[in-house]
Amino acid sequence: MAGGSLKRCALEGKIIVITSGKGGVGKTTATASIGAALALEGKQVAVVDMDIGLRNLDVVMGLENRIVFNIVDAVKGKCKIKQAAIKDRRIENLYLIPASQSDNKDILNPEAMVRFCKELRKEFDYVLLDCPAGIERGFENSVAPADEAVVICTPEISSVRDADRVIGLLYARSITPKLIVNRIVPEMVEKGDMLSHEDVVEVLSIELLGLVEMDSQVIISTNTGVPLVLQKESSAGQAFRRIAMRLNGQKNLPIEIPQSSKSFWKRVGQKIGIGK
Amino acid sequence: MDIQSQDKSQVRLKGVKEGFYVTLDPTLPQVFLEEELTRLFNQLQHLASNSRVILDIGETQNRQDVVESLTAFLKNKYHVKSVSAPQREQQMTEDKPRKLDMPGNWHQHHTDALIIAGRVRSGQKISAKKHLVILGDVNPGSEIIAGGDILIMGNLGGTALAGQPDNEDAIILAIGFKPIQIQIGGIIAAGLPTSSAHTIEFAHVENQGIIVENYIKANPFGRLTWPVVR
Repeated sequence: MAGGSLKRCALEGKIIVITSGKGGVGKTTATASIGAALALEGKQVAVVDMDIGLRNLDVVMGLENRIVFNIVDAVKGKCKIKQAAIKDRRIENLYLIPASQSDNKDILNPEAMVRFCKELRKEFDYVLLDCPAGIERGFENSVAPADEAVVICTPEISSVRDADRVIGLLYARSITPKLIVNRIVPEMVEKGDMLSHEDVVEVLSIELLGLVEMDSQVIISTNTGVPLVLQKESSAGQAFRRIAMRLNGQKNLPIEIPQSSKSFWKRVGQKIGIGK
Repeated sequence: MDIQSQDKSQVRLKGVKEGFYVTLDPTLPQVFLEEELTRLFNQLQHLASNSRVILDIGETQNRQDVVESLTAFLKNKYHVKSVSAPQREQQMTEDKPRKLDMPGNWHQHHTDALIIAGRVRSGQKISAKKHLVILGDVNPGSEIIAGGDILIMGNLGGTALAGQPDNEDAIILAIGFKPIQIQIGGIIAAGLPTSSAHTIEFAHVENQGIIVENYIKANPFGRLTWPVVR
């Protein structure tokens, strides 16, 4: 991404699009969690809901009742960025720019988004764009201003297929995407009932940013609006914190592979010579 | 209209580097053939005299009498220099492949083969005029099309169409043969059983059906005596 870094001066923020192609793989959860984790690292972060007409990043973050202005108002110049960006209640430096619920994706266009993100760069260190599912207008709008891309994929064939398509489209726009494999169930992988992250990485062959285990805390967090990354016992939350650290430049942080507690004891048993 | 187009296909003449190339059906009556030749050669006027004529009677054997009488007819009436049979590839003598086998002889050979490296992803489509060689994987959801063979030095997971539109001699070969669908010429094999064999496999047409075999075991080109251009 030589071109991307050239056009940005050193003090300006990075625009990262979080995309997947397929719906329901955890883009919104990932955006909220990575955004929160980056803010906890002390960065100024804006998370932007690009799913115009079907917004839900605000609900996941528990900020639904504070929306006055939205991204469409901000892009069209009806309000200032500061007015549209809602400050998170719990985490310092984290802001949400919500989508409009009453419009559709055609109200924005890639050129307007590039202009808008140029403004956002000046205010924030990281801008995370929560891309809608699909590869149509909403995708175009989200990808046009992005410097980097994170592709979320679950260990299912349909999700891998769509992620593959999206990766092709990102490469076509000279963006090198990074991969997060979400919702891994270690017990199923061990039994061979689920694709392992190696299988997914083999097909997609892009840099792996992190592996996230299936975690019921995600649903609790979504319902209560408490950020996942603040829950110490949530494996997914901790995985997203490590992903945020890697995004923030800690390239050497090792990738932890989710393992079932059963397999842990099995391995201990093997070490000390009991069991098969 | 019908008759005209039929006539056209029965006796045809075209100019080639060496002279004139005449294609005709020797089973037709002699009189008709001579009439047609007269019509065609009259148009050539003075170009016909002293020219070389290649007479192609198709695959039909044992019609040397027709060739001889027509040779005499053309020589007498139009003073052509020679009348010969076309060089057929099947009639290639032993000398020619021997010469081809000598090193350096293929330096002049040009090929339309497309050789590319990298991963072909879902939704991407690659089409080659003739043979297609991909160094890398072909992911499910992609489509690769070739006029000739398809050789994948990696996993084939997408749809592969070889020998398009009608070359049923083409093959599809992959190191990891797991395609969604393959097509050779006009023959389609959909819903292939997923083989988990970690061997190099290839698909070819046999008795109007597509057969997938272990490439090393079947060794389809092992019985060719000389290396030939494909």
